[in-house]
Amino acid sequence: MTSAIQPPGLKAGDYESTSPEQTEAFAERLGRDLRPGDRVELLGTLGSGKTTFVRGLARGLGLDPNSVHSPTFTRVHRYRGEITLVHADLYRVDSDSQYEELGLEAEEEASSVFVIEWGERLPPDSPPATLCIEIEITGDLTRKLRVSRGPTAPDR
Amino acid sequence: MPHRYEPHGPLAATDDETERLHNTSRDMIPDSACILGIETSCDDTSAAVLEGGSQIRSNIVSSQISVHRPYGGVVPELASRHHLLSIGPVVEEALAKASVTWCDIAAVSVTQGPGLVGSLLVGVSVAKAIAYARRLPLVGVNHLEGHIRSNFLVEPAIRLPAVSLVVSGGHTSLYELAREGVYRRLARTRDDAAGEAFDKVAKLLGLGYPGGPVVDRLAAEGDPGAVPFPTVKMSDGSLDFSFSGLKSSAARFIQKEKLEAETPTTGPEEPPQVVRDLCASFQHAVVAALIERTLRAADEVGALAICVSGGVACNRKLRQRFAEEASTRGLLAHFPPPSLSTDNAAMIAAAGWLHLKRGETADLDLTADPDLEL
Repeated sequence: MTSAIQPPGLKAGDYESTSPEQTEAFAERLGRDLRPGDRVELLGTLGSGKTTFVRGLARGLGLDPNSVHSPTFTRVHRYRGEITLVHADLYRVDSDSQYEELGLEAEEEASSVFVIEWGERLPPDSPPATLCIEIEITGDLTRKLRVSRGPTAPDR
Repeated sequence: MPHRYEPHGPLAATDDETERLHNTSRDMIPDSACILGIETSCDDTSAAVLEGGSQIRSNIVSSQISVHRPYGGVVPELASRHHLLSIGPVVEEALAKASVTWCDIAAVSVTQGPGLVGSLLVGVSVAKAIAYARRLPLVGVNHLEGHIRSNFLVEPAIRLPAVSLVVSGGHTSLYELAREGVYRRLARTRDDAAGEAFDKVAKLLGLGYPGGPVVDRLAAEGDPGAVPFPTVKMSDGSLDFSFSGLKSSAARFIQKEKLEAETPTTGPEEPPQVVRDLCASFQHAVVAALIERTLRAADEVGALAICVSGGVACNRKLRQRFAEEASTRGLLAHFPPPSLSTDNAAMIAAAGWLHLKRGETADLDLTADPDLEL
């Protein structure tokens, strides 16, 4: 059974995805509810589907999902559109000062949607996430998506 | 002023030189002139002197020289700090190794993007300062165009049209080269770069960083058919690449066989045969995907030659397979040597020379662009 899993706006909950396509569709619907200034943190091990999730967010924000690619080496990508999606990857970021070096300035955060892979490596004094999505590998293609809300998450 | 440059002549142009330079219009730059290239887009700081657009007089990369000796041998934690400390000595070394002085440099070419903004800014600022002090033409170059030009440094007369595969830790893109200096992107990766996939698999196995060379070495002693990997196909028939599925397959195999290392570097010194087999099979799958797309692209554009550049172009299996496949189709396959495959400033100087000859120079308000596209 591969019926689409419906995300309920920016609400917390656990969801089962049976394929990368379903994960991407889930993220797309979530992306439609995101606004400039929102921060989404992605947690999950190698190969769990974090970049796939960002493709969906980009699509939901009206951006070309094929422009999304892993920022592991380059650390930050920006996909520009009506709303800009800033895509950071902290896989190669080992310290708070290295994080500061990414140059993700406050003004940019306020005018863009911000998604961070390996969000567990953020410095402790970072602004709170709007949403935190933990992706757990449950099988070759299946994933558990655990969505939690930050303290400042709006009701949408 | 930075007295360290004085062995190569004072940095500031004298009045006579200024007069002479002002009287030299861009198209009067002699064919034998030297251009200084500067590259700071990622981890390495590099400077190079290129003569006549093709002869490499020097090509210095910070990791090759002990630029950190004055700072107690400590490699700075931050990439931008590393560039800041290295750029002076690296430029100095490039001039010294080339046996030239500032008077011999006719133009400055620098990587404008893509890359990490703080790192790019170091190179761009230094290039602008040199251009201003020496009254020299300044050229901003796309890092990916630099990689493409590295093939032309080895073989200036590559037959066009050609397809060019740029494959590294940060990029995996295919371009059509219809005419000299004209690039059309045919494909890019939709998730991981090929080099990134190599690195991540090596890290899971605890084989250290960078992962490419060690996977290449271990793969030579493994069976490429031992571990099954899916063939990567795009459902929309696109030429785009995807490597995250191969990476996930490798991760699952590593987990199933309990081959995971505790840290990125604590893998066994002499890995068991199953690790060699995994490396061989994974490498085979990555190389097969790169070759399939590149050959299909070559067919589509009627290419006469295939160029491969970027750090992954050092992979021995990739070179061997590309050479075989190209020759059965009557195509020529071009690879730069390892020193020109990984990030270096000679390729930036080469790309800059091309723009300079077309009169495409930048003003002193040139800025770094971390998301520059080609």
